[in-house]
Amino acid sequence: MISNRRLVLAHFWLAFAVFGLAILLGEWQMFIRSPLHGWLHNPDLYYRSVTAHGTVMGYVFPTLVAMGFGYAICELSLDQPLIGRRWAWVGYAMIIVGSVAAVVPVALGLDSVLYTFYPPMIGNAFYYIGVVLVVVGSWVWVVLMGVNLNAWKRAHPGAPVPLPMFANVAAAYLWGWTAVGAALELLFQILPVALGFSNTINAGLSRVLFSWTLHAIVYFWLMPAYIAFYTIVPRAIGGRLYSDTMARVSFALFLVFSMPIGIHHLFADPQVGSGFKFIHSVFTAMVTIPTLLTVFTICASVEIAARLRGGKGVFGWLKALPWDNPQMLALAFSFVMLGFGGAGGLINMSYQLDSTVHNTQWITGHFHLIFGGAVVIMYFAIAYDLWPHLTGRAMQDLSLIRTQLWLWFVGMIVTTFPWHYVGILGMPRRMAYFDYSAPGLSGEGITVIMSTVGGALLVVSALLFLLILYRNHSASRAETTPFTFSRAIHEPTSLPLALNGLGLWVGLMIALTITNYGYPIAQLIGLHDAQVPAVFIGGKR
Amino acid sequence: MNGDRPRLISLRNPWFTASVGAISILFVFTVFVGFVWLPSAQNDALFKGLLNAICSAAGVPKAWLSEASPPIQPKTPVSSVVLTPDMLGGASSGGSIGRGATLALRCTMCHGARGVSAANTPNLAGQYAPSIYKELRDFQSGARTSAIMAPMVVGLSDQDLSDLSAYYASLPRSNAPPAQQVHSEPNIVATGSPMRNIAPCGSCHGDLATKLGAPWLGPQPREYLKSQLEAFANGSRHNDISAQMRNIARNMTADEINASASYYAGSR
Amino acid sequence: MAQSFSANSHDTAALTARIEKRWAFLMVSIIALLVAIMIFTGLHWAMMPPSRVETIDPSTLHVSGEFVESNLGSAVEPNGSVTVRIVGQQYSFTPQCIVVPSKTPITFRVTSADVIHGMLITGTNINSMVEPGYISTFKTEFERAGDHLMPCHEYCGVGHEAMWANVKVVDKDVFSKMAANTRRLTCDL
Repeated sequence: MISNRRLVLAHFWLAFAVFGLAILLGEWQMFIRSPLHGWLHNPDLYYRSVTAHGTVMGYVFPTLVAMGFGYAICELSLDQPLIGRRWAWVGYAMIIVGSVAAVVPVALGLDSVLYTFYPPMIGNAFYYIGVVLVVVGSWVWVVLMGVNLNAWKRAHPGAPVPLPMFANVAAAYLWGWTAVGAALELLFQILPVALGFSNTINAGLSRVLFSWTLHAIVYFWLMPAYIAFYTIVPRAIGGRLYSDTMARVSFALFLVFSMPIGIHHLFADPQVGSGFKFIHSVFTAMVTIPTLLTVFTICASVEIAARLRGGKGVFGWLKALPWDNPQMLALAFSFVMLGFGGAGGLINMSYQLDSTVHNTQWITGHFHLIFGGAVVIMYFAIAYDLWPHLTGRAMQDLSLIRTQLWLWFVGMIVTTFPWHYVGILGMPRRMAYFDYSAPGLSGEGITVIMSTVGGALLVVSALLFLLILYRNHSASRAETTPFTFSRAIHEPTSLPLALNGLGLWVGLMIALTITNYGYPIAQLIGLHDAQVPAVFIGGKR
Repeated sequence: MNGDRPRLISLRNPWFTASVGAISILFVFTVFVGFVWLPSAQNDALFKGLLNAICSAAGVPKAWLSEASPPIQPKTPVSSVVLTPDMLGGASSGGSIGRGATLALRCTMCHGARGVSAANTPNLAGQYAPSIYKELRDFQSGARTSAIMAPMVVGLSDQDLSDLSAYYASLPRSNAPPAQQVHSEPNIVATGSPMRNIAPCGSCHGDLATKLGAPWLGPQPREYLKSQLEAFANGSRHNDISAQMRNIARNMTADEINASASYYAGSR
Repeated sequence: MAQSFSANSHDTAALTARIEKRWAFLMVSIIALLVAIMIFTGLHWAMMPPSRVETIDPSTLHVSGEFVESNLGSAVEPNGSVTVRIVGQQYSFTPQCIVVPSKTPITFRVTSADVIHGMLITGTNINSMVEPGYISTFKTEFERAGDHLMPCHEYCGVGHEAMWANVKVVDKDVFSKMAANTRRLTCDL
C-alpha cells in the first residue's frame, strides 16, 4: 500500500500539468516555423518558447515523474513507510520555486539562452538559479532513495533487494552523479558572470561540463520507462519476468556506461582531442548493450504471457497477446520507437557518421522519438497503472486510453520522421523561421507541415491523457487489489553482493568519469587563453 | 572486517574482478586505438611521431604548425577598437559625465545642445556609450572617414573619448515617441530576410538584443540612416568589425533601405 | 525462443540462463562489429573528427592575426591546397559567400568573434562547431562544382534564423583564373 499517496499524486500531477503546457509551446513552435504561418515578427518569442519547452520537458517533467514514481516504488516494493517524508515535500517545494524562478524571466525575454545555456551568452541570473533549485530539489530525492534502501537492508540483512527498488536507486544515483556536470557549469562558470562577479567564461569548458550531464540525463529520463518494462508490464499482461538477474545486470550497466560517454555530443567541437572522442564513441556503443538485453528479456517475458494465454507457434503467439491491454499497447509502441530511435542513435554516436547529422533537425527528431516517444509513452503507462492505487478508484476509460496511446504513437512518428529526413538534407535546428521559397529549402516546407500535423496529434493525445487521469478522480470507488510488481520465473532467494547493492557500479561510474573526462576537463580549466568575454542577452532600450 | 563475510571489493569476488577487468581492458583498448592506431593512419603533421600523435589526440593545445602564408594586411585602416563588457570601466560608467559635458561644447553645432540634432546628423542623447566611443575611435584612426568629424577628434585622448561617450549616454533621449509605437515595423526590420543573411534589425540594435558596439537607432534622422546604409552597402564605410554591417546592407534593396531608414526615423 | 515453456520445470533456470547468455554474446558481438567498422573507416579512409586544439582571443580577431578581415576567404597555398578562413559572428559568416575549387585539398580555419556558432555545408558531411576562444580546423575536398548553403546550426541569439552563408564550388581551372587577380578569394557581392 502507498501511505504517501498525496506526495506521489502531487509529483505526478505537477509533472503532467507542466507537460501539458510545454507541449502546447512545442506545437506552437512547429506551427509558426511551418509554411502555414508567416515569419514571426518577433523571433525572440520563438526562442523564449524553445527555452521554456526544453527547460520544462528536459528538467522539470521527467525529474518529477522519476521522483513521484520513486517514492511510490520505495513504499510498494520495500513494504515500509517512506523515511523522510518531510524532506520529500521540501524537495518538491524547491522544484516549484525553482521552476517559477526559471520560467518567469524566460517569459519576459531575459533568458532566451535555451535549456542548454550556451555560454558565453548570459541571461538573467534567476533562470540559472531556478534550474539549480530544481536540481537540488531532485537531489533530496536521490538522498532519500539511498537512505530508504539502506534502512531496509539493515532491517533485512542478506535478503535480496526487490528489483524495482534496485532499479529505482540505480536511477537516483545515476541522476545524482549526472547532474554534477551541469551544476559545476552553472555554479562555477555561469552564475558568477550572471551575478556580475566576472565578465569572462571558457565556453569550451562549459560545453564539456554540460556534455557530462546532457547524455546521461537521457538515461535518467529512460529509467522509469525501463523500470516499468521490467516490473509492471509483465504482471499487467499476465506474464512473468523472464530473468531477474538480467534485469539487475542491465540497470547496473546503465549506471556504469550512460555517464562517461557525453563527449559524443562534441565530435564537431574544437576543444576536445580526437582520442577522447574515440573513447567516448566506443563507450557509447557499450551503453546499447543494456538496452539490447532489455529488449530480449522483455520480449521473452511477453512471450511467456502469450504462451500462458494459449499462444502457439513460432510467431503465432503474438496473436494471443492481450492487445486491448493498455500496458501491452504502450510497450509495443515504446519498443517500435525505441528501435527506430536506437538505430538513429547508433549513427549519432559513430565516430565518422555523426558529421552528416550533427546539430541538424535529425537530432531533434532523434531525441523526441526516444524520449518523447519511447519513454513518455511509458510514463503514461505508469500513470495508468498506478492511478487506481493512488485514487482508490477504478480506471474506466480503457478504450479512451487505447485511443490516447495510438494517437501518441502515430503523432510521434509523423512528427519525428520528417525531422530525421530534413536533418539529412542539412536543415539546422532552432531557427525561428525558414525561407521556404529559397531553392535550397523549397522541398522542406512540406516536411515541416507534416511535423506540425504530427504535433497536433500529440497535443490531442496529451489532453486526452490529462482528461483520463482527471476523470478517474471522480470515478466510482473500487476495491483495488493490492499493487504488485511483476514476479520473475525464478524469484531470487539470494543474490551476489554485486547485484544486491550498487556500490560496485557507482564506483565504476565514478572511475570512468575520471578516466574519460578527467584530462579534458583539467586541461580546459588550465586554458586561460580560452576565457572569452560574456555576451549579455536581452533587449535594452 | 570479518574475514568470513564475502566482500564486494575483493579479488575473490568474481563480479568485481570481471567487471573491473573487462572495463579496464576496454579502456586500454580504446586508448590504444584512439591515441595511437587511428592517428597513425593520418597523413598530417599533427600526428607525426608517437608522442606528438598522443598529445594531439589528447587535445593538448598547440599553435598552428605554420604551412600557411602570412596574413594579408588591410589596404585601408579598419576598426581596431576592442569591444568587451569591461571596456569603459564596465557597465557602471567609467567616464566622467561632467568632463564630457565640457568637451561636448565643440559638438553642439551639429549634434544639438542636448545631443538631439536639428540637422541630418546623428542624435547622440541616450546613445549607448560603447557605440559612441567606438565611432569616435574609428574617426581618429581613419577607419571611418568623415571630413567633418576627422578634425574634431584630433588630439582627443582616450579618456576624452570615454568622457564624451559617458556624457551623451547620460542625456535623455528625444521626446519623440519611439518609432516602434508610431507604426508597425516593415518586414525588412522585423524579420529581415534569412537567405540573404539579413537578421532582424532589433537582434543587434537594442529592441530584442544589444550587440556591443551596435548603436540604438530610434529615432535618427532619415537621411543619415539612409546614407550610412548605402555607404555600408557599397563598402565606402567599412569600420564595422569583420564586415558585420556590410554583410547585411549590401544584400538590401533600395526599397528596403528606404523602408528601414524611414521606420527608424519615425516618419511615415 | 520457440521452445515450449513450462514454469514448473526445474531445468528452466539453467535453460533461461543459457539462452540469455547466448543473446548477450550475440549483442556484444554486434557492438564489437560496429566498433570494428568505425576503426576500419578510421584507418582505411583516415577519417576522424577534428583534433586540433588551438586558442585565440575572440575580441581582437579584427585587429591582428590570421582572422583580420583582409585575410579572410580562400587562400591558395604554395603546395596547391586551399585554406579558407572564416569568422562567425552574430549574425553572419565573413565571408558571406565562400568560393572554393573542386578536386583540391581544402583546409577550413574557422572561429567565432562572440558566441558559439556552428556551420554545416548542405549536401556534404562538413559540419563543425565554431566556438569563441578556439579555432576549428578541418580538412576536406569537394568532388564536384556546385552551390551549397551554409547555415549556422547552433543557436547564437535572436538573429540566429538569418545566419545563412553560401558556398560555391567552382572547377579547379576557373578557380585558378580567379586566384590570378587576388590573393584572398570570396564571392561576396
